[in-house]
Amino acid sequence: MKAILFYIFSVLILACGIFTVTSRKIYRAAIFLLLTVVSVAALYFLMEYTFLGVVQLVIYAGGIVVLILFAVLLTHDSGSLLPPLGVKRTVATFALTGTGLTVFLYTILGRKVEPGSGEFNEPSVKMIGGQLLDLYNFGFVLPFEAISILLLAAMVGCIVLAMKFSKTMN
Amino acid sequence: MGTESLLVLFFAGLFFAGAALIVSALIHPTSKNPQKKEPYECGIQTIGTSKIQFKIGYYLFALIFLLFDVELIFLYPWAVAIKDFGVIAFIEMFIFLVILLLGLVYAWKKGALKWV
Repeated sequence: MKAILFYIFSVLILACGIFTVTSRKIYRAAIFLLLTVVSVAALYFLMEYTFLGVVQLVIYAGGIVVLILFAVLLTHDSGSLLPPLGVKRTVATFALTGTGLTVFLYTILGRKVEPGSGEFNEPSVKMIGGQLLDLYNFGFVLPFEAISILLLAAMVGCIVLAMKFSKTMN
Repeated sequence: MGTESLLVLFFAGLFFAGAALIVSALIHPTSKNPQKKEPYECGIQTIGTSKIQFKIGYYLFALIFLLFDVELIFLYPWAVAIKDFGVIAFIEMFIFLVILLLGLVYAWKKGALKWV
């Protein structure tokens, strides 16, 4: 049963990924990217990596793709068709992705993978939360609080940059 | 556990969404006039195309939204685990949120939240 779902989602990921890079309408490419990202989230849920799946849905599907759509809306000729790829670019793309795929497959197939003997527990959301908040048993409270400072710095940075940019535009 | 029900849900969703489209395509009445191709059949006349350039300022909203989106992700495991930790967990999240709230205050002061 899991295998059937896995193949359904794999086909969805591959098909939407291919449509993303071949579509000449940029809005459609963005929507296909969204579908790809959601299908990847479905694979995470299938593997019972619930937290990772939620992160994928909220950050990538909800945030990054929206950001990309906004960026598309900012360009002035977003409605027109993208230029078709020339022979040069097609060859270069195939060469690049082919090299990547070869390295990837070589690394994976070169290793002997054996099923582990011990019991493996998927990290549940509760475990992640416990580790995040634990003060005593090697918890991650300090990194957790440091993340908020990182986010604050990112926010201030993007406000400063964007405000400067929009002032020069107006 | 639950993969069977997930598969059933997947096909049920596919069926309901697909069936609604197919059935309405089969039985809908056909009437052709240029009004049908307008975005709004009644209301204000549209000017130009919908594919126009947006102001740069809107990108800022998307960026700030993304940052609070990341913050939201940390609330999720916290909410699940808070029962085992009690007040300490509450204080930890409070510090986290206060630091982020400074960012919101900064954005507000700078006028980044103004809808222009």
